[in-house]
Amino acid sequence: MLASLKWMKEYVDINVTPEELADKLTGVGLEVEQVIHLGAGIKGVITGKVETIERHPNSDHLWICMMNLGQEELVQILTGAQNVQQYDIVPVAVVGSQLPSGMKLKKAKMRGLDSFGMLCSAEELGIDSKLLLPEQRSGIFILPVDTPIGIDVKSVLGLDDVVFDIDLTANRSDCFNMLGLAREAAAVLDTKLKTPNLVVEEKAAGSAKALAEVEIEATELCRRFALRVLKNIKIGPSPAWMQNYLRACGLRPISNVVDVTNYVMLELGQPMHAYDYDKVAGHKLIVRKATEGERLITLDKQERVLDSTMITIADAKHAVGLGGVMGGLETEVTEATVNVMLEAATFNGPSIRRTSKALGLRSEASSRFERGVDTALNNNALNRAAHLLEQMGACDTVAGIVEAYPVEYTPAAIRVTVEDISRRIGTVIAKDVMLDILNKLQFDVAEENGTLIITAPSWRQDITCDADISEEIARMHGFRNIAAHLPRLNLVQGRQMVIEDVRDEIQDYMAAAGLDEVMTYSFIHANAFDKMQLAADDSRRKAIEIINPISDEFKTMRTTMAPSLLATAAYNLARQNTKVGIFEVGRTFIPKTLPITEFPEEHRVLCAVLSGKRNELNWNASHEDVDFYDMKGILEGLMEKLQIADYKFIPAQEPFLHPGKSCAIECDGTTIGYFGEVHPTVQENFELGAVAYLLEIQIEPLVAGATTIPQYQRLPKFPSTSRDIAVVVPTEVTMAKLDKVIHDNGGKLLNEVKVFDLYTGKQVAEGCKSMAFNLTFQDNERTLTDADIDVLIKKIVDVIRETFQAKLRD
Amino acid sequence: MKEKLQELKEQVLEELATIQTVSALKDTKVKYLGKKGSLTEIMRGMGKLSPEERPIIGQMVNEIRAQLEATIDERSKELEKAELIAKLANEKVDITLPGRKPQEGHLHPVTLTLREMKKIFMRMGFDVMEGPEIENDYFNFEALNLPKDHPARDMQDTFYITEEFLLRTQTSPVQARTMQANEGNAPIRMICPGTVYRNDYDATHSPMFHQVEGLVIDKNISLADLKGTLEVFCKEMFGNNVKIRLRPSFFPFTEPSAEVDISCVMCGGKGCRVCKNSGWLEILGSGMVHPNVLRMSGFDPQEVSGFAFGMGVERIAMLKYGIDDLRLFFENDLRFIRQFK
Repeated sequence: MLASLKWMKEYVDINVTPEELADKLTGVGLEVEQVIHLGAGIKGVITGKVETIERHPNSDHLWICMMNLGQEELVQILTGAQNVQQYDIVPVAVVGSQLPSGMKLKKAKMRGLDSFGMLCSAEELGIDSKLLLPEQRSGIFILPVDTPIGIDVKSVLGLDDVVFDIDLTANRSDCFNMLGLAREAAAVLDTKLKTPNLVVEEKAAGSAKALAEVEIEATELCRRFALRVLKNIKIGPSPAWMQNYLRACGLRPISNVVDVTNYVMLELGQPMHAYDYDKVAGHKLIVRKATEGERLITLDKQERVLDSTMITIADAKHAVGLGGVMGGLETEVTEATVNVMLEAATFNGPSIRRTSKALGLRSEASSRFERGVDTALNNNALNRAAHLLEQMGACDTVAGIVEAYPVEYTPAAIRVTVEDISRRIGTVIAKDVMLDILNKLQFDVAEENGTLIITAPSWRQDITCDADISEEIARMHGFRNIAAHLPRLNLVQGRQMVIEDVRDEIQDYMAAAGLDEVMTYSFIHANAFDKMQLAADDSRRKAIEIINPISDEFKTMRTTMAPSLLATAAYNLARQNTKVGIFEVGRTFIPKTLPITEFPEEHRVLCAVLSGKRNELNWNASHEDVDFYDMKGILEGLMEKLQIADYKFIPAQEPFLHPGKSCAIECDGTTIGYFGEVHPTVQENFELGAVAYLLEIQIEPLVAGATTIPQYQRLPKFPSTSRDIAVVVPTEVTMAKLDKVIHDNGGKLLNEVKVFDLYTGKQVAEGCKSMAFNLTFQDNERTLTDADIDVLIKKIVDVIRETFQAKLRD
Repeated sequence: MKEKLQELKEQVLEELATIQTVSALKDTKVKYLGKKGSLTEIMRGMGKLSPEERPIIGQMVNEIRAQLEATIDERSKELEKAELIAKLANEKVDITLPGRKPQEGHLHPVTLTLREMKKIFMRMGFDVMEGPEIENDYFNFEALNLPKDHPARDMQDTFYITEEFLLRTQTSPVQARTMQANEGNAPIRMICPGTVYRNDYDATHSPMFHQVEGLVIDKNISLADLKGTLEVFCKEMFGNNVKIRLRPSFFPFTEPSAEVDISCVMCGGKGCRVCKNSGWLEILGSGMVHPNVLRMSGFDPQEVSGFAFGMGVERIAMLKYGIDDLRLFFENDLRFIRQFK
């Protein structure tokens, strides 16, 4: 919120600089984010009167103005603006003056004639044109006719003001106005608070009660509703000082009646509304719930369809306004208005909030009602508004206020001890210090057997319990005066959940394996499943969607991490990376039903992509591309690290993977993941610039293994013996088949089998491959002899030959 | 004969002194001391000597042999050493060529920061708890004293899935879950790190980011304990010279509430671009757990009290590493990620 310091000063003496006050207010919880000196860039711009104006002889758009600047001699100033007339009073930037743009005025020659300065527009003085009356927006800023001549223009336009931009917290509705801020400043500075003038002359004949009627039908939506009747309205602009204040606080002046309602709202915190009295049927206003589907054209000329949760103000016939949100067009105050009904009400915050959200209508009024408006304010606001309009000569007020206030507000009495407060704060604060603070904040304090019974003023409806009192004491005493110490708790180290240990271990392993960790959004584009070629009935398409996403790109909660990682790989491949190895441990979101009615499953998943070169370009490294076995090796290493032995690879059926270069990972009979080469079409869909390998695996099934403590195996006492064999077998014979045969026939002495060569090509027959194995034999009781091993090797070779029509290679 | 032997000895010693290679030395050894060598030949002539002379000459031959062998050995060692030096001098590598380095990957800066934060709090006895990212309205808001239609809900623009379920806007629902699981038993000392979501996307807001929130509940926990705990954390995270400042603020789940600033880590508090010349950086929100929150989660506010705090991991990472653009964290440009070790 923006707050004018000049305005605040009408109610409190401020004996410190604006910056010091800002610091002090921030220190008690009213965070001043910015201190804005409005006219900071303006130097030496004064008011001047156009005594004569005539056309420039050599130009068809320039004018020669002889300006009265309050000195003896008139000053000649040329202007290109077309809205200046004789005797207008305008801002004049004289020679030597400075404008917010940084421009310094010098004598200028225009088409042969000297100009000793410049007449200024509002924009040239740094005023936001959105905050001006339409007629003030273009051309030179014409000042009111009673403006003194030769004085600093900053005082005339309110540019000598300082504005605080305050980030007001949701609990401090009492400070959402100048008087509230002044009250807080008075408490902080220990100076006296002044009160606004609320005297109403009530010159008009009759009584309000005879002229108007109010009724609250929906008492749960409106606590208090009050009216004043104003007669003989003269619509016109509001005085310059009022316009200046409104502009300083970011509001656009419109006309006297509207400006006064806004002014009182900014000053006291009570939103108000003015109705054209003669257009309100029966001169009666009723606060009720809207009927379902009821229609109302609001001030912005939009037709609104209402529902039964919305607060409606109706006259004897139908709805004339949305209480606290926006008035109706039908009863709007216009140039033709003669009599006005002025409303000040206390509407229910949550209801206002729902309504303004539902209709997309946020206003200064609705945001005040949402936070809560002081119930004691209504009559003060009506009186203040009537007073101001009377002062302007804009109305005659009818005597009395018409109001409905079914249940009077009584603030809670909070019982708390001085010790309780000190204990909560952790610093001993003396009782008289506490009482002084409460007194400055205008809290009522009584005492009963050592317990304080505290009643907050009506504007502090946020004070409801003893903790709130502690906060008042703590913030006014100063957080910096609170000692710092550590809680007295047991000396134990904290722990994290086992699954998080496993996640850390996986992250460390993947990084050690050469992959970089990425972090991608949990939401993906709805079209990701199409890009991955998932079948229409693929369960991964049953994904949770956000109902208010930023865009389609961030709409679907991922059921697989693959799209995120493929997109990230593509992003990096497109940025001159020859080697991309990335991974993420994240979550996928699997609904039990759609739309969800219970918590979905959240799976922790590891996803990785490899693409490009195996090594960074280096003189002594191979320059080959990564392949299937790089990814497989990473996975095998991970399983070894996590001590998972009981798993196997089976052919995968994933539509986004190459059918011949992919497999699923099965652990304990269930599939927990897959890896393989990305399908060429999918590669294209994700705009991956190179062949890529994708891995996705669930983390939860790996936890059991990861937490196993390895058990020591005795080291062999006798040397082992190894032998090589090479066989030529048909291509389709897999390693797994050969391995099984070798193990089945190697007996318990066969310790380890390693493949050390795989060859296809001219040296072997077509449709065949050569594979070479290194077999290690070990007996824990003795040293094996050649004869022992010869028997085993012969047996192995014979069975391989028989089973696979293999040939022995030498 | 004596003279002959003496002459031979002189001759051999002279020759040995001039030899420059190990192989030439071997040849010389064979030539004089070998089976057919000069000394052996002289020995063969000993038969002609008188019995008196024989032992004298024999002893002399042995002495000369021993002396020559020793000299040859010594010379051999010298030459071998010289040859090794010469050999090594020819085996130079280009030490300026790059080596074969293991290709280690990099952890994301958010992971690195999160781990450091967790480590600091775990050392102080905080347990680490995690919870679901798709939460319900009750745990995300209501259990934290944020009833429906409370204006403070605007502080966090929420992504909704249904009226009931949403993407958590903070990790504090994990605190509510932990409190309820503890069934009124203190003490509780925990942090909940994790991913959170807000409907806000521009240069300084990401729709997804990370938080670490913390909670302590026990008898007699005060605002002073909060201040002390956060002071330790900030000093461990940003160094011993860092100062902290608490400012009154408002959060629905705490009362009193405080924003915590640290002295600017870039300029040390003198004022710079990063701290907008204030000398302070806002890094976390905190406060004493609201009695309503305690009550709702099964604790008696007359018996126990507690404090809670929460901070953004990306914010801490940006300050720690001097990162000036939030979007970098989720763009995942490897040139960015590879900068962090």
